[in-house]
Amino acid sequence: MTEPMHGVGQILLQNQAHVLDAWLARLHDTAPSAQPASLQLLKLELGTLVEKLTAFFLTGEGEGDALKSVEAQAAAISAACARDGLTPMETATLILSLKAIAGDLLNRESGRGTNELDRRRAALDAVVDKLALVTFASFVETREEIIRRQGRALLDLATPALPIWRHIILMPLVGIIDTQRARQVMEWLLEALAREEAHIAILDVTGVPLIDSRVALHLTKTVEAARLLGSQVIVTGISPDAAQTLVKLDVDLSSMITRGTLRAGLAEAFRLLGQNAKGPTETML
Amino acid sequence: MIPEPDVVSVRVTTEIDVAEARQEARKLALRHGFGTVRAHGLATAVSELAMNLVLHSARGGLIRLTVQDAPEAAVIELVSEDDGPGIPDLGLAMEDGYSTRGGLGCGLPGTRRLVDAFAITSCVGAGTRIVCLVRRP
Ligand SMILES: Nc1ncnc2c1ncn2[C@@H]1O[C@H](COP(=O)(O)OP(=O)(O)OP(=O)(O)O)[C@@H](O)[C@H]1O
Ligand SMILES: [Mg+2]
Repeated sequence: MTEPMHGVGQILLQNQAHVLDAWLARLHDTAPSAQPASLQLLKLELGTLVEKLTAFFLTGEGEGDALKSVEAQAAAISAACARDGLTPMETATLILSLKAIAGDLLNRESGRGTNELDRRRAALDAVVDKLALVTFASFVETREEIIRRQGRALLDLATPALPIWRHIILMPLVGIIDTQRARQVMEWLLEALAREEAHIAILDVTGVPLIDSRVALHLTKTVEAARLLGSQVIVTGISPDAAQTLVKLDVDLSSMITRGTLRAGLAEAFRLLGQNAKGPTETML
Repeated sequence: MIPEPDVVSVRVTTEIDVAEARQEARKLALRHGFGTVRAHGLATAVSELAMNLVLHSARGGLIRLTVQDAPEAAVIELVSEDDGPGIPDLGLAMEDGYSTRGGLGCGLPGTRRLVDAFAITSCVGAGTRIVCLVRRP
């Protein structure tokens, strides 16, 4: 059982430089979209992989830490490829091309047609196939992580709470309000109300494409939560189209103050603040 | 000659699919000369039915929009179909304010008011099918 692995290990050990060179020589074909800037790093990473692979075969054990170490290295390479914008196809091809390169080497060093050769090639193929799978899983994981991070970044961007006047904050909502966004809007609004010691929050929904019963529910909950903090919420920017639709849906928005435009909302805010706010009259806006 | 129907279908399992379905619905309506209020109403109906697929049907479902467009009149058929748990009491589900999941409970009754024709069939354990028509002019 250990012999074919050990044999592969010996051959790799004596030919590490050759394997790496042959691998790199194919890079242009296997991964055409690799950027020159990232090539240098990729070369180092592939060199490490060849070393670890050699060490793994030399241990002669099918499982264990040596294999884990090889897999970890393959996963790292794959993650780097994902970040550099290589396609999953390119990344898998890159790993799988090791089969052909090392296979050629085994053919040459083992002598053709022997049982020994077959067993060695089988041992090699099994490991490289496994690495390709690891690579693929890692690639997908990295891409998903990138998407999650971008999503979070977008969320942060999309929900600023602006202190626009003493005791008044403005939160312009732009884009789709899904459950996650809605939760965040509520959280940030309440935080901002407390932080700015604001009495009034203006939620402007001009940039929200559609208000259905779910969005209405989230708005209602936000208004209620703000009320518990002693603050009032004015919702502005409901479009005429949306207003007609909301009437048909018959959602109950009576708990909140609504105004058609941000301007009217601001005027209402100043009115509510009354004499306390040394705010401007509407003509000054 | 009967014109080819314009068909859009969206598989709905998550909230992102809901957004896509209603965008498609609005584009479809505007493309066939429906006014912005009607387009908005249709998009909202789609949003309600699609969101119900996400919330109330374990494996989501399918939203399909078909337009029959003729110069003097056009009609959009909206079909929502799922193989979810079904609705045991349709009368109750169509009531304003009835919700089994803490919603406002105006999705189904509201949708009925938004469209020109509304039909719902549901079978417990087998799924729910809703067909709506929206007409132009
Ligand atoms: N596709 C479906 N499959 C199973 N049950 C459904 C489906 N659609 C609606 N229901 C049931 O009918 C009830 C009423 O639906 P409706 O859309 O009117 O309200 P909601 O979804 O609970 O809240 P809202 O739509 O106001 O956010 C739901 O609470 C749910 O129990
Ligand atoms: Mg609903």
